[in-house]
Amino acid sequence: MNTLLIGFLIGCAFGAILFLGGASSYRKILGTLLLRDMTIIKLMLTAIGVGTLGVYLLDLGGLANMSIKPAYVWGIVAGGAIFGVGWAISGYCPGTCVVGTSEGKLDAVFTLAGALVGAFLFSLVYPVMDAWLLQNANLGKITIVDVIGIEGVYLAIPFSLMLLALAFFVLKDGYGTES
Amino acid sequence: MRDEPIISWKVAGIMLGLLLTLATFLVKPLGVSTQFVVTDAMVAHQVAPEFAEENAYLAKYGEQSDWGVGYGWMLVFGMLVGGGLTAALFRDRQPMLDQGSMPSMWVKQFGASRLKRFATAFAGGVLLLFGARLAGGCTSGHMISGISQLAVGSFIFGVTTFAVAIGTAKFLYRRRSA
Repeated sequence: MNTLLIGFLIGCAFGAILFLGGASSYRKILGTLLLRDMTIIKLMLTAIGVGTLGVYLLDLGGLANMSIKPAYVWGIVAGGAIFGVGWAISGYCPGTCVVGTSEGKLDAVFTLAGALVGAFLFSLVYPVMDAWLLQNANLGKITIVDVIGIEGVYLAIPFSLMLLALAFFVLKDGYGTES
Repeated sequence: MRDEPIISWKVAGIMLGLLLTLATFLVKPLGVSTQFVVTDAMVAHQVAPEFAEENAYLAKYGEQSDWGVGYGWMLVFGMLVGGGLTAALFRDRQPMLDQGSMPSMWVKQFGASRLKRFATAFAGGVLLLFGARLAGGCTSGHMISGISQLAVGSFIFGVTTFAVAIGTAKFLYRRRSA
């Protein structure tokens, strides 16, 4: 099957899951960030738990087309911090603002427009950022598996079970509720 | 009244994990934020081709420099179509609290000004993508796909992002002294 068509179909499923699971809801996102309503973090932990297991089982058979991002520490910390502020004030992330836009939510449309501008602004300062933050303290495309040096699946199984246990049994709503 | 999402976090989380596995098997893991650069690059290439060729970042992400549409862009386009179709089909089952452009939580804290909400949403969008491109990924590419591959950088992104986002949210929704 054609790669473009596969991308489109996977995207359709991704968008549908985010909508149906409430990930494009400002209330649910802020609820998680305020630690009052853990729905979204539990959704993410479950997805990562299942995903880790899936990816490393594929890897066992040499079937995983992995794509590891380089760990340039300062760029990721700075970028993650800026991203975190944007996430909390808009209530969307890049994927869910696309889904929110598809629902016709105007605040999502504004986030999407801002996101296109933000990506463009980054392209203008990329040469400076590259020299300052992306080339320094770059550990390369490494995984925990590389660091520890055992077969990935032996690490993936306990990690996955830990995340699923956290989502299913440990996390409870209402940590941030005062009075 | 129904306040919970149409499908539970358990079902949504398991489906998303399986979808990530399928994507990693067929092509590559999920990612969204790169496609904002690809979109910018496509537009820039049409409007100002010389500028686009000279901008190292846009040229790098012109979907392998052919300025066209690839797997990743089709995935994000699919999100728009799949999200939109599902929203149209299940609109009446979506909690009232999650509908519309003015979240009730926001209105309660910051008032009913549409300008204020939309300006903040726009500014948030700018920060989201500037940050995502600096870090090399977003919630899908770094957090969901990256941590699932046990990538060191993605753990750093996840921890930093959540810490700052929680701090910011707590600050925004601090109790206002009367």
